[in-house]
Amino acid sequence: MNPQALMDGLVTGSMIGLGAIGVTLTYSILRFANFAHGEFLAWGAYIALAVSGALGWLAPSLLAPIGPFSFGWSLPIAAIAAITLTGGLALLVDAMLFGRLRAKRSTVIIMVMASFGAALTLRSLLEFIFTAKPAYYTKALQIALPLGGGLRATPDQLLSLGLAAILVVAIHVLLTRTAIGRSMRAVSENQQLASVVGVDVRKVIRTVWLLGAGLAAVAGIMAGLLVQVRPYMGLDLLLPLFAAAILGGIGSVPGAMLAGLIVGLTEAFAVQFVGAEWRAAIAFVILVAVLLFRPQGIFGRPE
Amino acid sequence: MTLSDRPIALSTKKLVAGYERDLPIVRGVDFAIRQGELVVVLGPNGAGKSTFVKAIAGLVPVHSGTASLGDADITSVPAHEKIRHGLAFVPQTENIFATLSIHENLLLAANVLPKERRQQRIAALYGMFPDLAVRPSLRAGQLSGGQRQMLAVARALVVEPSVLILDEPSAGLSPKIVAEVFSTLKVINKTGVTIVLVEQNVKAALAIADRAVILVEGLLRHEGPAATLADDPIVAELYLGARHVPKAAGQ
Repeated sequence: MNPQALMDGLVTGSMIGLGAIGVTLTYSILRFANFAHGEFLAWGAYIALAVSGALGWLAPSLLAPIGPFSFGWSLPIAAIAAITLTGGLALLVDAMLFGRLRAKRSTVIIMVMASFGAALTLRSLLEFIFTAKPAYYTKALQIALPLGGGLRATPDQLLSLGLAAILVVAIHVLLTRTAIGRSMRAVSENQQLASVVGVDVRKVIRTVWLLGAGLAAVAGIMAGLLVQVRPYMGLDLLLPLFAAAILGGIGSVPGAMLAGLIVGLTEAFAVQFVGAEWRAAIAFVILVAVLLFRPQGIFGRPE
Repeated sequence: MTLSDRPIALSTKKLVAGYERDLPIVRGVDFAIRQGELVVVLGPNGAGKSTFVKAIAGLVPVHSGTASLGDADITSVPAHEKIRHGLAFVPQTENIFATLSIHENLLLAANVLPKERRQQRIAALYGMFPDLAVRPSLRAGQLSGGQRQMLAVARALVVEPSVLILDEPSAGLSPKIVAEVFSTLKVINKTGVTIVLVEQNVKAALAIADRAVILVEGLLRHEGPAATLADDPIVAELYLGARHVPKAAGQ
């Protein structure tokens, strides 16, 4: 067995985990599975690509790699723009689609179907604007550094892992230690009671969209940096995202991250044992197994 | 100043409300309660008592008529803003956040207060409800039925409301706990908080109330001082006779 699978699994798992946090938050507060969440990853990646490209064109010095990394300052700056704009995109989709359906008290299945429609639209728009050709943030090649024990990782991969860990801790603190976090947990438990207590539910919903889509943008940029940027990158990650959100227990941020890592690692090790062509099936197997044997997930509580 | 001289704390005028526009459950209720008064809303199952108070709290659509807090019209004020106007509501079931700790339940309610007053108000409530202060970090879902009700009342009092509305606080509690809850409500009322109490537990409610109103089929059919209403034949006919009918869902 190649120990490198551990590193590959952790890197993929942290991307899945960040995306799954968004899925789990929207699911627990808006009460529907948002199948358009993968598209927020892709849009985040493409917005960063466009902004970073524009910055590089305006100031070529911003493209010079920072230290050991493969990218210049154009990418971190573009990432901030992408997080903000992807959050804005989520709010726009909510205002145009989901918000209207909520106002009509639409059933869950209508919300889910609407999210399929939103996903198709968002994905096709990306393909229309940027074409289906894969794109890259940088053409620079990186040498993987030996970490001992047969493990190797590029500086970009280590940075992604560190960033994912910081973000998970930050979101967990936000949910457990701040007023808006308490409001979010209150709305997720009982929306009507939350409003009686003085929580502005609309504000909580806006926060959830901004947070979920912002994290999706980060995951998308990571995927773009470590693999490539493609219009279908969000769709390909959708099943692992849902597997992780459900395995972690809906509503649990640490659960989503831990489950993301489990899904990523399982995928990476499965590739070694059963072959790369089965990679995509792994998340599906995990999802089915969780639904059959522990539907409330790792950190969830039985209904 | 006697009760009847005090200004009106909460009133409704021709209030029509219900989940469906063409099927109003509350069909034109005129109601008023004076500051510091404790009024119990009685009525048979399905009379619209819960819907009436939920409509005032902003949880059920009002089709016509008005609800006012003092002189301020609060009919179309969103539910989450009503607490800022001094109106607190304790729903009948699921009236605490079970996944949040006791302290977090109180902090959540304190969020509408200015920052400097939050800790002071929560400390005051721990003084008033010492049971809750034993383990503030305990998940509220682990509390007993009576403790949950106390937490729900404490949470409503965090903002020092002028009017407190409770929807059947005795539901599902043993007689001993009901007595405790009601005596706490009377103490709260004595501090000047106006209380509207929806109840099925007629005797216990009339024992602490100043006045009672009786809703029947969405209309206010009868009212009078609590002390005399207990022996009123109309109460027996309208209410006590229907007491043993199984409780309708959503009421």
